[in-house]
Amino acid sequence: MNQKDDFTQLQKLLQLKRLETPGQEYFDRFVDAFHQYQRQEILREEPWYAKLAEVLFEPWVAGVPRLATVAASAACLMAGVAFFLGPIGAGSAQLADGKVAHARGIIVASSQNDDSIQIQPELIETAAGGEGTQLRSLYVNGHGAVAYDSRLAF
Amino acid sequence: MSADAIKELDLENGPTDEELVAETVKGNLASYDELIRRFQSRLYGVIYHLTSNHEDTNDMLMEVFDKAYRSLPTFRGQSSFYTWIYRIAINRTFNFLEKRKRRQGSMSLNELDEDGLPKLDLPDPSARNSPSKSSMLNELQNKLNESMLNLSKEHRTVVTLYDIQGLAHAEIAKIMGSTEGTVRSRLHYAHKQLQKSLGIYLRR
Repeated sequence: MNQKDDFTQLQKLLQLKRLETPGQEYFDRFVDAFHQYQRQEILREEPWYAKLAEVLFEPWVAGVPRLATVAASAACLMAGVAFFLGPIGAGSAQLADGKVAHARGIIVASSQNDDSIQIQPELIETAAGGEGTQLRSLYVNGHGAVAYDSRLAF
Repeated sequence: MSADAIKELDLENGPTDEELVAETVKGNLASYDELIRRFQSRLYGVIYHLTSNHEDTNDMLMEVFDKAYRSLPTFRGQSSFYTWIYRIAINRTFNFLEKRKRRQGSMSLNELDEDGLPKLDLPDPSARNSPSKSSMLNELQNKLNESMLNLSKEHRTVVTLYDIQGLAHAEIAKIMGSTEGTVRSRLHYAHKQLQKSLGIYLRR
């Protein structure tokens, strides 16, 4: 028997698997069973990580084209890294002790004298250009502090 | 029956899939029931031939239709509903198979057969055949399912869609998000593997 015959036999054999169905009765009842399943599912809230996984791994189901999702995720990741790391290296090295500088909402304070550095309110007001600045602390270590003020972002 | 033939049949019998989708989105739930009736048997086949377990297939099928229903408002019609729901079914089943693979390390003995493989659900062959034939058919089905499970999930999928469900290469490529060339090459490899493991039955 040659390879072509073998292939024909294989296809016949595989078609046997079509018989492995649960029968018409199962399919007749399926829609009703599905309605019952849906009612139970409504009571069970999907956790946030399952939703996130869906957007990342099944974007066509979530209505997001795959390439766009990957590009957006990569852009967010890069922006996040730049957001947290960029100003510390560049800004703090150029600052004199006790000084504050800001760029696009990021405020950087530098000090060599105080291990538990806090950004002083008056320095922040100077950087922000006014009183009542709402500051969100992002990063503090022994030599400097970084904070964010959305009013200065643009 | 090819997907085109099925589509033609749908057109003769009533609204198209896309019309039913539009009706469902508007809130006509009976339209979704009709979509379920159109696809339940085919999707059952795909999931079952990938999992080889009827209970898992039933759970997965519910999950697939539920997920598709919830996601219908975001369905943009860039592909046909047919392709879209097949992709959901296959992707969900792949995820399930990964979980099952991880779980197999901690599987109880009750879930394994005498060869240490996961127990497979097979239809009772005696229901359709004489006793002498049934034992042979049972052995053949076991071997066939075992050989299918030895294929990678991608190879098993192309065999299921092409050889068992009779879809065209182009349709399989759309469903799997690959090229026709990849589908053909996967099929060729899968056939070779199956011929190797089922050789003794093919020459009987």
